[in-house]
Amino acid sequence: MKTSIAAMVLAASVFLAGCADRDGEARSYANSDLQLTSNYAAAEVCSCMFVMEQEEDFCRAWTRANPAVATFRVDREKKRVEASAGMLWGATARFVDERTGCVLE
Amino acid sequence: MACPIANLAFLALAVLLIPGAAHAQNCPTRGSWPTQAWPDNTAETTAAKAAQIQALEDYAFSRIGKDAERKGIRTDAVVVIHRGAIVYEKYFGSHGPTKRHIGWSVTKSVTSALTGMAVHRGAVSLEDSICDHLEVGTPESCQVKLKHLLQFSSGFDWTELYEDKSNQASSVLAMLYGEGRRDMARFVAEHRLRDAPGTTYMYSTGESMLLLSAVQESVQKTLQKGDVFPWEWLFTPIGMTSAVLERDAKGHFKGGSHTFATPRDFARFGFLYLNDGCWEGQRLLPEGWVAASTRVSEPFKLRALAAEPGDAQGRMWWLNQAVPEQGFNDLPWPDVPSDAYAARGHWGQSVTVIPSLDTVVVRVADDREAGAFDLNQFLSLALALVR
Repeated sequence: MKTSIAAMVLAASVFLAGCADRDGEARSYANSDLQLTSNYAAAEVCSCMFVMEQEEDFCRAWTRANPAVATFRVDREKKRVEASAGMLWGATARFVDERTGCVLE
Repeated sequence: MACPIANLAFLALAVLLIPGAAHAQNCPTRGSWPTQAWPDNTAETTAAKAAQIQALEDYAFSRIGKDAERKGIRTDAVVVIHRGAIVYEKYFGSHGPTKRHIGWSVTKSVTSALTGMAVHRGAVSLEDSICDHLEVGTPESCQVKLKHLLQFSSGFDWTELYEDKSNQASSVLAMLYGEGRRDMARFVAEHRLRDAPGTTYMYSTGESMLLLSAVQESVQKTLQKGDVFPWEWLFTPIGMTSAVLERDAKGHFKGGSHTFATPRDFARFGFLYLNDGCWEGQRLLPEGWVAASTRVSEPFKLRALAAEPGDAQGRMWWLNQAVPEQGFNDLPWPDVPSDAYAARGHWGQSVTVIPSLDTVVVRVADDREAGAFDLNQFLSLALALVR
């Protein structure tokens, strides 16, 4: 019984997925808020500090995201910013040079 | 024995063939060019236009509420260029003449310029498919040509939403900070087509990203300049020395979003367009490129998706033109001359060119409250300084 319900759910989800594709419904992305905000914080804090050359407090306010779940740590010497959100999501951006600015790893 | 007539003929021929000979290139002439520094006429404006300056600053530089709440109009800097000189500039807080500011989608107009320069040098043709330059397309997406991207008319099924809307529905956030971030061009090109290329317009950061990536790959293959061409062709010749153009982990320039420069350097970019793509008598953009970029694009006239009255787009430039084909019968900025056009970015960035007033107006900002800032009102106040 359980197996057949699982099979029906699977079949329905495959059907619905195909349906959405054919009918052109808006695509949805696997954009976890934790992933997005940690990547956003790493990339934009790095650019704010090392490209725009603003202070850390300015850059914290500048990159406030919704939901505000990311925290970050700046390594001024290596010009790197590590951001994290939740237990699992982390991101690192580093300043490369005066033309390239920061790259999200 | 010398032959004066033949020598003269040779001389005339040589002048015609010299690359950059101003007359051969139909370039406007100027008394000076701000490659090294902008002439400073701010004292004259301060003396002659005190009331107009007050009105502009009351509108643009009066911040409201607690800073953390980020309400209202939040201008970080304004620079006004008139007749080749700075006539007004002001910075807020920690911003200043040597501090870079993010341009966000002003970058799209930079991508449009770099595409023109690549066409000028024969590195790409607008008729090229994206698959001529990038190994990222599906068979379907290979129908997309560079000209389609330049007019936001690829037809890719894309959703242009920013933060504080739906994070999961946003193609932009997925590209810059989500599943697409490591190889953004591939991410864009793997979207299915919503419409046949060239038949609809829809504003898309992905299209600018994909366009500059295709240009970059081609410039790398043909001229081995994939890493340096934005500087060699554009930023260095016009003295835009502060320019930073960031990349994704794949090494492609983020051509829809991540140019940084000082406000004075963004003004140099506007000044290049004000001078029909010429600088110091040299033609940097193909003849006719600026005109073609500042006409309402055919796809926009055919069917402009997710566009509102007051929108009008050329080739990645916002235009002050009515689009009766879409029922947009009013000028987007009714108090501004109709020949004005602008590079515009998220949070209120703008580089506006007004040829009939020989003026460029740059504003960099931190507007986070939707609808608080009105570009028409701002420009009309800024232009009161030069009218």
